[in-house]
Amino acid sequence: METTAKLAFSFIGVLLTFLLPPYLDGIARRVKARLQYRRGPPLMQTWYDLNKLFSLPSVKPTKSALFTWAPYLALASAVIGALLLPYGNVVPIDIGFNLVVFFYVILMVSVFLMLAGLTVQNAFSHLGSAREMQIILTVEPLIAILYGVLAYNAGSLNISDIIANLHLTPSLVMTYVLLAYALYVESGFMPFDIAEAEQEVIGGPLSEYSGRLLGVFYYAIYIKRFALLWFFVSLLVLPWVGPINTTLKAAEVLAVQFLLTVALYPVIASLEATNARLRIDHVVKMNTRAFFAGIVILAIAFMGW
Amino acid sequence: MVTTRDLEAHFEFECRACENGHCRKADVETILSERKGLKEFYEAFKEHIKECKRMTYGQYMFVIDREVLPEAVLWWHNHPEFKETHLSTAVGTDERPLNGKFVYMPFLNVQVEPQNMDENYWVFLKAYMPADDPSFPSVAAKLPAALWIEREVKDLLGFNPVGHPDPRRLILPEDWPEGVYPLRKDMDYRHSPMAEVKTEFKEKPEGTTLVPMGPVHMGIEEPAHFRLFVKGEEIVDVDYRGFYSHRGIEKTGEGRLTYNQVLFLAERICGICGYQHSVSYAMAVERLADVEIPDRARYIRTLMLELERIHNHLLWVGIAAHLVGYDTGFMHAWRIREPVMWLVERLTGNRKQYGMNIVGGVRRDILDYRKEEILKVVKQIREETKKFIDIALNTNTFIKRAEGVGILPYKIAKAYSVLGPTARASGRRIDTRLDQATKTAMAYNEVDFKVPVYKEGDVLARVLVRMDELFESLWIVEQLIDQMPGGDIMVPIGDLPEYEEALGFTEAHRGEVVHYVMTGEKNKVYRWKVRAPTYNNLPAVPEMLKGYHVADAPLIIASIDPCYSCTERVQFVDVETGKVKVLTEAEFNELSIKYRGVF
Amino acid sequence: MAESLSYTEKLKKWNRFEVEKFSKKAPVTTPYPFIDIEKPPEYRGIPHINPEKCIGCGACVNACPPDALILEWDKKRGVKRLTFNAARCIRCHRCVEVCPTGAMEPTNIFEIATDNKEDLVEVVEHKLAYCEECGEYLDFTERQIEYVKAILPKEIIDMYALEDRIGLTQEAKMRKTVEKLRETEGNAYPAFILVKKGGEE
Repeated sequence: METTAKLAFSFIGVLLTFLLPPYLDGIARRVKARLQYRRGPPLMQTWYDLNKLFSLPSVKPTKSALFTWAPYLALASAVIGALLLPYGNVVPIDIGFNLVVFFYVILMVSVFLMLAGLTVQNAFSHLGSAREMQIILTVEPLIAILYGVLAYNAGSLNISDIIANLHLTPSLVMTYVLLAYALYVESGFMPFDIAEAEQEVIGGPLSEYSGRLLGVFYYAIYIKRFALLWFFVSLLVLPWVGPINTTLKAAEVLAVQFLLTVALYPVIASLEATNARLRIDHVVKMNTRAFFAGIVILAIAFMGW
Repeated sequence: MVTTRDLEAHFEFECRACENGHCRKADVETILSERKGLKEFYEAFKEHIKECKRMTYGQYMFVIDREVLPEAVLWWHNHPEFKETHLSTAVGTDERPLNGKFVYMPFLNVQVEPQNMDENYWVFLKAYMPADDPSFPSVAAKLPAALWIEREVKDLLGFNPVGHPDPRRLILPEDWPEGVYPLRKDMDYRHSPMAEVKTEFKEKPEGTTLVPMGPVHMGIEEPAHFRLFVKGEEIVDVDYRGFYSHRGIEKTGEGRLTYNQVLFLAERICGICGYQHSVSYAMAVERLADVEIPDRARYIRTLMLELERIHNHLLWVGIAAHLVGYDTGFMHAWRIREPVMWLVERLTGNRKQYGMNIVGGVRRDILDYRKEEILKVVKQIREETKKFIDIALNTNTFIKRAEGVGILPYKIAKAYSVLGPTARASGRRIDTRLDQATKTAMAYNEVDFKVPVYKEGDVLARVLVRMDELFESLWIVEQLIDQMPGGDIMVPIGDLPEYEEALGFTEAHRGEVVHYVMTGEKNKVYRWKVRAPTYNNLPAVPEMLKGYHVADAPLIIASIDPCYSCTERVQFVDVETGKVKVLTEAEFNELSIKYRGVF
Repeated sequence: MAESLSYTEKLKKWNRFEVEKFSKKAPVTTPYPFIDIEKPPEYRGIPHINPEKCIGCGACVNACPPDALILEWDKKRGVKRLTFNAARCIRCHRCVEVCPTGAMEPTNIFEIATDNKEDLVEVVEHKLAYCEECGEYLDFTERQIEYVKAILPKEIIDMYALEDRIGLTQEAKMRKTVEKLRETEGNAYPAFILVKKGGEE
């Protein structure tokens, strides 16, 4: 493919990364509102909220530099994570082993959130951070194992190579199912938004944040959610469309990715709306079970099924 | 004027005291033989009882020496036969202008036979204390239900409960000057707040961290301060400091307003169970004036009370869902609730604070064509609530959060005199609607309904009790509409007798609401004491919280349906307001500078 | 047509617009501040004083639980001022119930938010009746006196000679009684006689 086309696709990727996530949240709000028989806010509402937060100064309760930097670092991590993914057949930041990089970069968003909560003297921040840590500690091994299955199946640690070389086995199907769960947990959607639970720990690590910094944190979280969903959608779509040779085909694939992402978000929103928040011990238990299931899948994959 | 005799002929009271003339003057022997247990009590405390009288139907008073108060209270509370008897609350009165003494008067809801309003009764144990030594032996060490009651009279009247295990401040703010007691009649309004704030919090247990839930917290709708001492996420101990919304309602009501004006103040004690307070107050005044209110008024009152219960239970279940993050449940519960609000708005003229009551009856009649509308709404609510409960109870995550959490065992529930659905979820078979003689102001004796009781004592049981109750209330409304008698809706009261006492009570959706009224001169109220159900339920919350997660705390706290404003009634005191006097702005500013902190 | 309907009929006909929406199960919420909401005719809104009907008797002031209505006398100017402050009003409509002339008019206005507190205050000033005899203002307004004259039966007015006496202050009334007694049948009033005799002796 020509360089201009590649550049164009990368540009689209960047655009999607920065612009789409708040709209997706707007869709989710709308869907939830309709499930609750409410009118709901306009699709742009999340943008309006962010815009307002960006324009307000932040109150800083501590002198720690990490408190100020954590939102920006989280945002940077989330953006990098999103740009490691294929748009059409183009990966904006194409480096070797980028599955591993993707894993760590997305993890960093949660880590920065957790660290930010620990920089302030606030019982609720600490509780939230502790919860975030427990979730990370239990869900990340599961994700690592599932990524391992993918890498083993395709024989590569590069996302585009993996996508090109996946072949359908029973273990892969199970991996997809478990991956959907793990990524849902990592995204921190409703039954699992324990770290930021408003009614319990008034926002957890975010409780001391305000104004611009809070806006940046929210933006980072939206982008992280988008990246994880886009990754899953790419795994769903790209391996099965055959080789992408022409620009037209790449554009078609990108369109399918985009539409599927937009279509899956309402599904997530309805899951969120129909569930109560779980308690941290419930989640730890569930994640541990899933982890053992992951190990079984890995074993199955090693056996070649 | 309607006499007691007429009242009893009408309701078929079995009161033999009346054979000797006016009830209050009936002789001791007859009074004691009226109800089971009275005689036994009299025999046990013979030397210490100075006087016994019947205040009104089903309300008895013993004037008793203060030394034996703890024994007397415990005698009733732990009576082996009357299982559900509980210490309701206590009234402290400054009767120095009358007889130079202070009065401390605990009273109990005695349950001879559950749900038999002609057998059960209220017992008032009145103890006089000399003006120079207002102290009485505390019962709180043996009976936790008295913990707050005794701290309250200590704060507001300066009584000294000797031997109280936890004599910290309960009601007054931290900077309230020492030795100033707002409910004393000679209270001086010109004190300034203390320069140094006096905080008295419980010490932190070893190896725990403090999680301050409140004074402002998302999971609590009103200001309240729960200090959770946690290890990791587990709650080890809890301290509660509340009374941030203390409004001085009792003091405002005393002496300044006429009895019909107090009624509207009473209605505004609570945002959502206001009508219960209004009916309780009206009932107390009607009881002490000895008037019979028309049947139709009783029916309309009952109808409004039950409609209020329906929408309050729906409101509560919505909030419970919201607190575990189940916002869909929250929105739908409130959506189902809305038609009831619309209905009562058309029936009474307001969504809340119906303003429907007047002492002696109700203010608006229910027009006949409205009955259809009410039945339509009831039908709609029943269907939708069924659907809602079906969905909510099949939401796995919701059940996971509610089941086995915040367990309150029967014994603790009884020791703290826990009331209402919270108590019924722990296996206490109490419901003031049937337990006590509500028939003078409400028509519960003429409808048929069940009182759901669960034994589990966890949050889920509290949800289920309330939902069952909701359906019973719908059924009551249908019966009331069906049986609604014709006739007047109010009778004029005229002048009130002076220095008489009586109790009014209803079962709000949170438990028993009690209004004690003592009249003064010129149709004013000398002492007005309000006890909302949360006042008894809240001290038991720390017991429920221990051993559970911080994440469960908001849900457990909400599971008793706390209403902080109801509980905390009393601070703003309107002083020299003669009706005619108006302050100019300058005068007002001057005053507010002078009285900063008192207002 | 609307005027020919009775009040009850009007109540029957009134329908809440949300109720229709509700049955369709579409969004049940309304974009409230951007649309007008009509409260049902039964709703107790902020009352309003009709100055044409008001006689300044103060019945509403006695009934009002939160002191939203206040009565002031200005004897120098000969004015009685009735002030209604909607910000204090709890909308119980006790004033509407007790008003003898129907001057307290119920409305179903519920939106009283304003950026100027004075918008919430209604003031009605009444002229106090003037006693010709002693040159002082009475506690009553002119309208109160007219109202009393209008509602009392003729016999009672005649019996107490209210026609001339009603517009007098208490002192003037007493003085007049004394004078009248002195003129006509002075010896029928023992106390008066005693005083008089004592004075003479």
